[in-house]
Amino acid sequence: MGFSGHSVIAKIETGARRVTALELSDIAAAIGVQMMEFFEEPTPAIVSHRMSGTPDATDSTIDSRLALLARDVELIDSLADGALGFDRAPAEQTPPTTVKEAEHLATLSRELLGLEPNAPLPHLAEAVGLVGLLAFSADVGKDLADAGTVLLRRGGVAFVNSHADVGRRRLALAHELGHYLCADDYTIDWRVDSYELKTAPIEALLDRFARTLLLPAQALMAAWAPRVEEHGPRRAAAWVAHHYRVDMATLARRLRELDLADHETAGIVRSHRTTRADILELDLYVPAEELAGTTVPRAYEKAVLRLVERERISRERALDLLQGTLNEDDLPIPRTGREDEIWKFVS
Amino acid sequence: MKLPGDDAWVIDTGPLRHFALSGWLGVLKFLAGDRSVFMPDVVERELRRHTDDIRSIGQVLDADWIHVFASTDPAYMARFAGYAHRLVAEGKNEGECGVLAMGATFGCEMVIDDRTPREMAETEGLRVTATVPILCEAVRAKQLTLSMVEHVADELLANEYKLPFGSGGFRQHVLEHGLLDYDETT
Repeated sequence: MGFSGHSVIAKIETGARRVTALELSDIAAAIGVQMMEFFEEPTPAIVSHRMSGTPDATDSTIDSRLALLARDVELIDSLADGALGFDRAPAEQTPPTTVKEAEHLATLSRELLGLEPNAPLPHLAEAVGLVGLLAFSADVGKDLADAGTVLLRRGGVAFVNSHADVGRRRLALAHELGHYLCADDYTIDWRVDSYELKTAPIEALLDRFARTLLLPAQALMAAWAPRVEEHGPRRAAAWVAHHYRVDMATLARRLRELDLADHETAGIVRSHRTTRADILELDLYVPAEELAGTTVPRAYEKAVLRLVERERISRERALDLLQGTLNEDDLPIPRTGREDEIWKFVS
Repeated sequence: MKLPGDDAWVIDTGPLRHFALSGWLGVLKFLAGDRSVFMPDVVERELRRHTDDIRSIGQVLDADWIHVFASTDPAYMARFAGYAHRLVAEGKNEGECGVLAMGATFGCEMVIDDRTPREMAETEGLRVTATVPILCEAVRAKQLTLSMVEHVADELLANEYKLPFGSGGFRQHVLEHGLLDYDETT
């Protein structure tokens, strides 16, 4: 930074010397925040979270990510009128208090997402956008939370730690969708699918919601038994996990809670990893993985690129907002200057 | 500190640098006439970072007719921050934010060559111009001859300034588009 020494900083800290805009810009850059954060309150959910003093209110990586995403998404929403789909945000749902209510919420969610009751949900990250939840991902390491969600003034933002495998990432996002639909202001989920009903009933029920959303009971009942009979549990598991894009742990747990498999079979499923032989034998098509590495939702990407095209944000800022998922060559070619453009000043 | 009036020019890094590199800084001073000329402190810093031609840039930094503006005013800083939110990444484009904040705060005319901040200024109803319009205005006002401006334009093009015509194409362009009357070009 451009400060000449400790005495300057001491004067600033005591109020004896005021900082200039340039110095404040440098301070913001040094601590890794947008200068705007000194002048505008973050979205109310972030404010109330920081005021709450709960243990996860510390400056964790996920916390910072969510705050940054909230600010960036609200910027784009303010400039790209309606492009982020927040007008489609559904009415607040009552948080489930029983397993039955959790399953019902999953059924309702499928309706909101425009899905058939038993259809696979292959593109979850894009689907949640249909109800105004924008899903981002990045690999922030194994020791940090699985996911988090923050409710915005309009819509919401979910962040998924892409360090986990694809099945777990999808389960985490489905869990976050539950929080979002229940209008939970701010949540960080450290280990999705490991919550207990006794100690964390809401989280455990949202785990159940997530599993049900991805693997509807009727669909699993219809698919499981005939395939076990034809191929045995391992290959049946490979088929179901592939078609419904879930991990084996989720499938095993779902089989148990629907009483479709005994402990031993569930154990076999949990420990199975889809093999090349499974893929060839079952004629599976392996799609691109969702939420792999750093990703931004399509609607957000599209809105940012449109703003670049219309020269409402700089190209440098656009690349920053897109978090390195695109490079300069991917940005729209600057619009051709109107012939009269530079001359209108002198006409 | 001297404050800009609404007749002042506040100039971005690009135009100052281009005029300096082309050796036409004196022309800019001449065109400013009675106007006071400013640059925000952030533009001054950006110029200092351009080490490709220290001698030329030094002429801008040493010019006593170009006033450097710095502010601790919260309203100015909030405006700066708002523009930075749309323009700045990894320290780039800060100069434009300072210029825009000055234009919004003091109502002075901004000289910016980049299109995005110009678009932002126009959307907000702020007064903004750019290098070439200034030169055209000078021709119309008979402050400069067309041949002089042609030369300036070619020098700017040589320094990678983007114009809607190539080297030597200024006169043909303004005539083809009726931007200057024929008698203004002679």
